[in-house]
Amino acid sequence: MKRWKRRLALPVSLVAIALGFLISLAMQTQKNVSAAEEINARRMAAAHAVLSNVQSQNAQLKKTNKELTAQLDQDRRLGGTDPKVLAQLAQVEIQAGTSKVQGPGVQIFIDDRKQDHKLTLPLSPDNLLEIINTLKFAGAEAISVNGQRIVDSTAIVYSGSSTILVNQVPITRLEGIPYEIDAIGNQNTLVDFFTNLEGSMLKANGITFSVMRKTVEVPAYKGAWTFHYAQPD
Amino acid sequence: MVWFKEKRYLIAVAALMVGFLFIMLLKAHGLAGNPSAQEGTLPSLIQTEQENQQLAADNDKLRQELDKYAQGESASALAKQQLRDAEMDAGLVAVHGPGVRITLDDAKARGTQSSPENYVIHEAYIRMLVNILWNGGAEAIAVNGQRIMSTTEVFCSGAYIQIGGTRQVPPYVIEAIGDAHNLQSVLQFAYTWDRLGDFQQQYGITRKIEAVKDLHLPAGSLTEFRYTVPVKEGS
Repeated sequence: MKRWKRRLALPVSLVAIALGFLISLAMQTQKNVSAAEEINARRMAAAHAVLSNVQSQNAQLKKTNKELTAQLDQDRRLGGTDPKVLAQLAQVEIQAGTSKVQGPGVQIFIDDRKQDHKLTLPLSPDNLLEIINTLKFAGAEAISVNGQRIVDSTAIVYSGSSTILVNQVPITRLEGIPYEIDAIGNQNTLVDFFTNLEGSMLKANGITFSVMRKTVEVPAYKGAWTFHYAQPD
Repeated sequence: MVWFKEKRYLIAVAALMVGFLFIMLLKAHGLAGNPSAQEGTLPSLIQTEQENQQLAADNDKLRQELDKYAQGESASALAKQQLRDAEMDAGLVAVHGPGVRITLDDAKARGTQSSPENYVIHEAYIRMLVNILWNGGAEAIAVNGQRIMSTTEVFCSGAYIQIGGTRQVPPYVIEAIGDAHNLQSVLQFAYTWDRLGDFQQQYGITRKIEAVKDLHLPAGSLTEFRYTVPVKEGS
């Protein structure tokens, strides 16, 4: 009995010291973590407060926008405007992208989130430009990416290293599939051109996608053009 | 050996403590490495705020127009003015103004070397440069006399590049109206522009830019919409 006790005394006490040290360390960490948790929660609450404020503003603005548009429509009708001019205006507004439109087309979902055991390259602004260009080539009449209408002056660029801006607006989605592209046009041509011309590029990057034929709505461009330099002839 | 049997509980206690510590550390690490919940709030905040700005601007525009009606201006004159504005926005009006002219051309020598693709101008370059110019504040752009509109494609069809349904061959001339200084400097920061400069030195392609006092860009023609109809917002 005495023989092994002496032999083990040193290692056992060393282990005990190490354990004691670890316990106190863990307790300290635990304390820091609870503090961090609290700060985090407070920050989250603040951010959420700001966000919900902005969101209620957004709802209000949308409501006003609807009312004003309806009012304007009524005024125009009562004012006895030439229906030919109004019909022409409707077509030009589709071309400019300033009216909300609908029609048969395709809804494309693109998922570039990391899949299990697969190397995935995130979708870049250049990829998006190429996809949109292919859809235009396929005769798309109106296109939107994550709710941003593609107009003549639409630029698609990175802000920082991963956020993509379309029409100067970040299109990052918090949950669900990261990219939704809606395009109105001939469904067969759109599906055919997108799948054949862009499908392989996406697959090669490990990106998954789906294409659905359906009647889609494409929102209006919310920005405005300013012409300081360009003058009509 | 006898000891082991007697003090087995000591080992059990030690093992339990180590396990406990391990779990605590894991928990702490997990918490520290998981701030993503908050990260998500920021982009959606910016997004909503941007949308609010756009909506506010749109509402102002609508109010101004309603004011004009209220002041008794002729409805048909207003509609005509609105049509003219919309045509300007859509690129259906020929315009002139100061800006830049970019000329891109294939190299004289064809690459017999390992990389023949570096001797020619690809449609992707044109697309990217147009994108950069819009981002730099261009107000109107045309490529080889084809006005760039919302539906204009710049697509490679083998021997030629299809722009707005027309066949175009090099040299490719991109004309953009806007602040010439801004447009030139936004290109300086663009990777594509940089790379074309490298290709010019190595392979002899042409990449030229000049500021022009008075560019004349033609009007685009209205697409015949066969599938798209407007959605009435008010109803």
